[in-house]
Amino acid sequence: METQQNLPTPWKLFLLFSSITTVTLGGGYVIVPVIGNRLEKLGWMNEETYYDIFAQAQAYPGPLALSTALLVSLRLCGAWGAVAAFFGVILPPFLVIILVSGVLTTYGSLPVVKRFLDGAGSVVPGIVAAMAWKNGKRLVKDNAGRARLIRLIELAALTLLLVFIPRYSMPILLGGIASLYLLEGLWKPSK
Amino acid sequence: METLEVAWTFFKIGIIAFGGGWSTVGIIKNAVVPHWVDEGTFRSLIAIAQSTPGPIALNAATMVGWYHGGILTALLATLSVVTFPVLMIVLTTLLANRVSLNQQNLNNALKTGSLAMMLMTLWVLRPASADPLLLFFALAAFYIGAFTRINSIWAILGAGFLNALLGPLIRSIWQR
Repeated sequence: METQQNLPTPWKLFLLFSSITTVTLGGGYVIVPVIGNRLEKLGWMNEETYYDIFAQAQAYPGPLALSTALLVSLRLCGAWGAVAAFFGVILPPFLVIILVSGVLTTYGSLPVVKRFLDGAGSVVPGIVAAMAWKNGKRLVKDNAGRARLIRLIELAALTLLLVFIPRYSMPILLGGIASLYLLEGLWKPSK
Repeated sequence: METLEVAWTFFKIGIIAFGGGWSTVGIIKNAVVPHWVDEGTFRSLIAIAQSTPGPIALNAATMVGWYHGGILTALLATLSVVTFPVLMIVLTTLLANRVSLNQQNLNNALKTGSLAMMLMTLWVLRPASADPLLLFFALAAFYIGAFTRINSIWAILGAGFLNALLGPLIRSIWQR
């Protein structure tokens, strides 16, 4: 009887995801472990299965939190679970942003608010640089020898294309990721 | 219809929004600055998008939509940015076992690809002002993000409040 009560339903999934996206600040890589934790505690999914699904979710475009939530809910509860998760992830941030934007439209021209926004905006390059630093370090660490060299060349080529021809970033990325995928397949077996 | 133009732009962003928020920000910037929001607004918008709950790409779509046309445009932009990702999930679920991509190879390719996007984001959002205090905030945020485990929103909020409350005082001391 008790396990019966604890089964995931679309409504419960909606509540789970909306409660997480309401309070979790800081984007996909912060949200993802929180979701895993809650699912484990609820007894709906163990961590290993969850991180398998997360690995799949990374292969989809769009917010990581969304693709992870959708794939998890599909597994747990089918299509309606996914629909519920969709609104659970989308709705709370949307309402918060509308609220914040409304407040800013009213008070945004006050000098103190302007200074706040300037200060907050000024750290963005620092945060991006830190993320790139961490990911770059991992790329260098996880690969050795030829693999490291090839990946660094791929990275440099793609970055230069994106920086110098921003107008075509879409075809560059789609083509780039497809060719990186094909290249992986080419040199992996001989390693 | 400009609302539809905003929606179309964010639909296209959704197609290439790989690798989490920060990799996508550069793409978003190229698509919306200076056409829909100016450079300075975009930076503070991204800072707000990061320090409010929810995925950053989603929040950015909502805010650009809001600034450009109000709540309806905000709603449409938000739904547009997730249309393609959701379609992909639906498609791959329906076609399960019929398409077989090598998961490991795909994730490796995406890791390299999203790092390139992140570097491009860094390039397009490189510090714009020569204000020493703002440059200091950027450096401090890099240190916090790269070498500590502190959530980066504290850097955003800290810099915002410091600049709002003590900014004029610090600058007047600096100039003396």
